[in-house]
Amino acid sequence: MAAILAVATFFASCSDDDSTVNNASGTGKIGIEFDNSYGDNNLILNTQGNTTSNNEVLKVSTIKYIVSNIVLTKEDGSTYTYPKSESYFIVDESNAATQILNLTNVPAGNYTKVKFGIGVDKEQFDMGASGQGNFLATAQAEDMLWSWSAGYKFLAFEGTFTSSSVNTATPFMVHTGQTGTDYNYTEVTLNMPTKALVRPTITPIVHIIADASKIIDGANKIKLSDNNANGMGAMIMSGQLLPLITANVTNMFRIDHVHND
Amino acid sequence: MKIHYFLWLLLPFVIGCSSDDSAEYKNVPLDVVIPSNFPAIAYDLSHNPPTEKGFELGKKLFYDGRLSSDGIVSCGFCHLQEHAFTHHGHTVSHGVNNATGTRNAPPIQNMAYQTTFMWDGATNNLDLQALIPLTNTIEMNGNLTSIVNMMKGDAAYTKLFKQAFTNGEINTENMLKALSQFVVMMTSYNSKFDKFRRGETGGTLTADELAGYEIFNAKCATCHATDLMTDNSFRNNGLAVNPMVNDVGRYAVTSTEADYYKFKVPSLRNVEKSAPYMHDGRFGTLESVLNHYDSGITNSATLDPLLNSNGTLGIQLDADEKVKIIAFLKTLTDNQYLTDKRFSEF
Repeated sequence: MAAILAVATFFASCSDDDSTVNNASGTGKIGIEFDNSYGDNNLILNTQGNTTSNNEVLKVSTIKYIVSNIVLTKEDGSTYTYPKSESYFIVDESNAATQILNLTNVPAGNYTKVKFGIGVDKEQFDMGASGQGNFLATAQAEDMLWSWSAGYKFLAFEGTFTSSSVNTATPFMVHTGQTGTDYNYTEVTLNMPTKALVRPTITPIVHIIADASKIIDGANKIKLSDNNANGMGAMIMSGQLLPLITANVTNMFRIDHVHND
Repeated sequence: MKIHYFLWLLLPFVIGCSSDDSAEYKNVPLDVVIPSNFPAIAYDLSHNPPTEKGFELGKKLFYDGRLSSDGIVSCGFCHLQEHAFTHHGHTVSHGVNNATGTRNAPPIQNMAYQTTFMWDGATNNLDLQALIPLTNTIEMNGNLTSIVNMMKGDAAYTKLFKQAFTNGEINTENMLKALSQFVVMMTSYNSKFDKFRRGETGGTLTADELAGYEIFNAKCATCHATDLMTDNSFRNNGLAVNPMVNDVGRYAVTSTEADYYKFKVPSLRNVEKSAPYMHDGRFGTLESVLNHYDSGITNSATLDPLLNSNGTLGIQLDADEKVKIIAFLKTLTDNQYLTDKRFSEF
């Protein structure tokens, strides 16, 4: 008998694949979907003109952001923190596969809130390489790494614009991330309109609308024409506008609905 | 009898778990030198304690040109040991495809004691510092995904990653940690000056060197502070702006007007060997550097206040003082470090 137990121990130590026990222990999956809009409309890349409150017309070519540190809150108030080392994602409007974050091994339960970060938190960043796995390579492949400074782009929002003073389509690039003075990571907590019921047999999808118009045209209004000093384009990648844009980003997300299928 | 039978069954599992002995994690810790005359170490060793194999891996990475896009430009390409790991003879360094940069390659020594890195302080984390030259298009122009794939296809790397890290994974995290382990071990602490400060044999300064140290303490040590010879701050030291480059320095990182043309105060260790000087390598000799502070300061809105006392620019130094300061600066040369085989490419 003792020998049989010993054999079992060796099996366990050699194989760390525990997928066979998932169903029995009450975990499931949940999808967090990021659906980018521009105001009330779907975000159409490149071709659709979008008018801001400053009467600038934007054609958006790129919107990407790092989503991190996902925490789910159950109806009893208890929380489930998704394993930190697996909790870094890049959402890219031009790649549909990136727009649903598929979380696995989530304890079964009725969830009422989701919290996530936009960017890489300072605690993680200050640890240097530790805990980043291969995310630096992933970020570089997605052009979300700043080569002049050792850090991530938290959000990239790019395209062209015209305005009353800028007649020809002129590039704009808004990149948030760490600067010498501000860290610019932000966290967002959203209440679910209906509970997300995670079960071994139910994989809810939390459908989040991310309103890209808010990035420069939220509570803080940033005029691209004012940042086009030499006519070469509005390049907003550092300085005092980034904390204002970060505050806007914090308020660009809402949950439209939850599927419990 | 039954027990015996089971023991035989166990054998394959034991073998299955412990594969090739040589490719397993080997935890042989290395001692990080903490000299008594240094300020506190800044690097968090607990996150990444150097081991024999981690150091060996880091050294291999440091000297491997395959990390760059042209397969030639390694870290060691611009950081030559005998010149305190600077690019001797180059005002600014050149990278892949003969691209030239705008900055002079700084020395590598005592990095574990520093809190900001690069001339403009683009990072304050040593692990992440390596990413800047590694990915910069005019330096190594490296692609992290390609680098990881290259290492995964290389038997020597595959073995070293397994020996250096408990999870054995070949990824950017472990690559950067290994590089840090190598760099953290690179401590220059046995110059004549160090021995003088610690009261050790070989630490007797000549009259000129001692006089130079006194002048240095009176006129230079506010910025070149502590035995590391830097206060880790960013300052505009009154260099005439080169209009061909207009390097704005720290402003590039902070976008704060007050940071225009500020650069990190460099350590002066091994300064005799690390010519040329300044962020763009514009001065070829220590004499030129002292002449700049004495009579070459250009005033501007962000000029360091220490270089402008009531309208008099610079630090007044007569010829005799300059000779003595340079005599003192040469006591900062640490030949043991500059020839230490542990850090050598060959």
